[in-house]
Amino acid sequence: MTAAPGMRDLAHRLLVYEADAGKASEQLESATLRVYEKLRHCLGEFVGVAGFQSLASRALTLSRPEVPSLSAARVAADGSLEGLGDIETQFDMGKPSAADGEIILIARLLGLLRLFLGEALTLSLLRSTWPGEAFEDRNSLHGRKV
Amino acid sequence: MNTQDKVKINKLPTGVPGLDEIVGGGLPEFSFNIIAGAPGSGKTTLAHQFVFANATPERPALYFTVLGESAIKMLRYQQQYTFFDPAMLPGSIRFINLSQVVLEKDLGAVLEEITKEVEKDNPAVVVVDSFRTMVRKPQSDMDLQSFIQRLALFLASWQATTFLIGEYAEDELRDNPIFTVADGLFWLRQTAERNSIVRKLQVIKLRGQDSVPGLHTFRITEAGVQAFARTFGLTARKRNPPSDRRLSFGIAELDKMLGGGVREGDSVLVAGSSGTGKSVLATQFIAEGIRQGEPGIVAVFEERPQAYAERASSLGLDLETPQKDGKLTILYLRPLDLSVDETMHSILDAVQKIGAKRLVIDSLAGFEMALSPGFRADFRESLYRMIFALTGIGVTILSTVEVDESFTEFTFSTYSVSFLTDDIIRLRYVSIDGQLRKIMVVIKMRGGNHAKDIREYEITSKGVVILGKRLANYQGLISGIPVHSDRPDQTQEPSLDTGIEHTT
Repeated sequence: MTAAPGMRDLAHRLLVYEADAGKASEQLESATLRVYEKLRHCLGEFVGVAGFQSLASRALTLSRPEVPSLSAARVAADGSLEGLGDIETQFDMGKPSAADGEIILIARLLGLLRLFLGEALTLSLLRSTWPGEAFEDRNSLHGRKV
Repeated sequence: MNTQDKVKINKLPTGVPGLDEIVGGGLPEFSFNIIAGAPGSGKTTLAHQFVFANATPERPALYFTVLGESAIKMLRYQQQYTFFDPAMLPGSIRFINLSQVVLEKDLGAVLEEITKEVEKDNPAVVVVDSFRTMVRKPQSDMDLQSFIQRLALFLASWQATTFLIGEYAEDELRDNPIFTVADGLFWLRQTAERNSIVRKLQVIKLRGQDSVPGLHTFRITEAGVQAFARTFGLTARKRNPPSDRRLSFGIAELDKMLGGGVREGDSVLVAGSSGTGKSVLATQFIAEGIRQGEPGIVAVFEERPQAYAERASSLGLDLETPQKDGKLTILYLRPLDLSVDETMHSILDAVQKIGAKRLVIDSLAGFEMALSPGFRADFRESLYRMIFALTGIGVTILSTVEVDESFTEFTFSTYSVSFLTDDIIRLRYVSIDGQLRKIMVVIKMRGGNHAKDIREYEITSKGVVILGKRLANYQGLISGIPVHSDRPDQTQEPSLDTGIEHTT
């Protein structure tokens, strides 16, 4: 079972947005980690540290069959992502295939949120963390609107 | 101090249908409230309804979750209710998880965390769910009391209306300091009565305004908690003054027996054994009302509305057209686990919707059977409240009741509800000349004269038809086994008595 296309699109948009933001602010952190950390902050507030840690662990487990290189990654007790290693390559919006591993992990996490909370509430929560332009269909894999 | 000098306490909508009526118009702004009850009693849902009804982006709601149900599952389930608007999250409603601070730190740190969030967001509503798990660690009484006092003081000072949710047992009411500090205490109960679940809500305490005392039925539906006030939502409405207007049955001879018809706003009981034509009479009463421009409600418990309308059709009475025209509502009330208050709510809704003037309850026996077993013990009391409330707004009620036919007694009702009624019409079988025939007599009419005559009637294709003159040549008719009298026929036009009421 692979990550749902809709969630992959959404993950891709958020990564594209963060990649752009990273370039502008010259942050060294990868787009994947920035998206992940924003989700950790946004979700951790209402599900708690343990709640987010559980969700993230599940997302990581679901991602591994599609992205074997994630086998070294782990979710720490505080919910942070460790050991990304090779997968933590700089996200390049011009080469979507190289970024699949990163997209899948985020897509899995978003997919779990959608599964538990539904699409409307998931998007409501995400929109409180990212501005509207992050959801625009600028360079999505499938060209679908969110 | 005159009224102008008093501080005005704003009342916030509870978001729970029926609850505003119970709490006296709404929940006092800035009050510190407890919602207590056993697991599954609807505490969280009630709190959510309040939150969704009052939160705004400018004055949001902060919903602190602690241990117990995780926020993600809570939201998963709560969004199934129709009041849940996902667009309000997180702009107007923020969920904040305090599990870690509760697990790892003391109450001082918990208070500090709540303070930080409240000062940051300036919320209008604060909910702690569950407060019980927040103070789960052993605390000295002083620590707990101090924490609660400081929390209540802080939240009121920050102009927040607060709900603390807890799974408390009723024997904790005396000793737990939280109940002393609280301005409002709402207790939700859920009990199993035989095979039915009965939910009841009690406002044990509410500072600053009058609430309706007692236990109020509530139900949890897809719309969330819905409460049914014991006052039936009619406290704000004045009782109509007694009317002298008479309502016709559409049966001229019966109207004469009733001194011109049923007085508007009366409660009429039609009692008789099976097959005596109670429902036929009730149908004629409602059909005549519609003919005269008086919308009606028929509450049926023993048959479906379609069957009821078809039976009326066989008597030449069209109940289909007035239903389509909004002049008649036939309510089929879901059997077996109703409360009278829920039934009333349905009836009142229908009364208000079509401006009904006549109501038929067919029958009281069916009504009682439709109630949850736990409510049957209170049937008479509930019926009294219902009839008082409805007749007070000018609705004329006709109830049918089946009585056991006895050939030695003449009972008016097996339910001993005749005291609830203004007028009683008794139908019964009688054995005359080798035939089982039917007689009708008006037993009582409160506030009016009525005929003393015992009249024979038949049920024909045109409904109840009263035959000839009064049965003057028989004695002991009401026993069911009359004796033919040799006296000459003294039959005259129906005579009216002088208003003497029969003991019922």
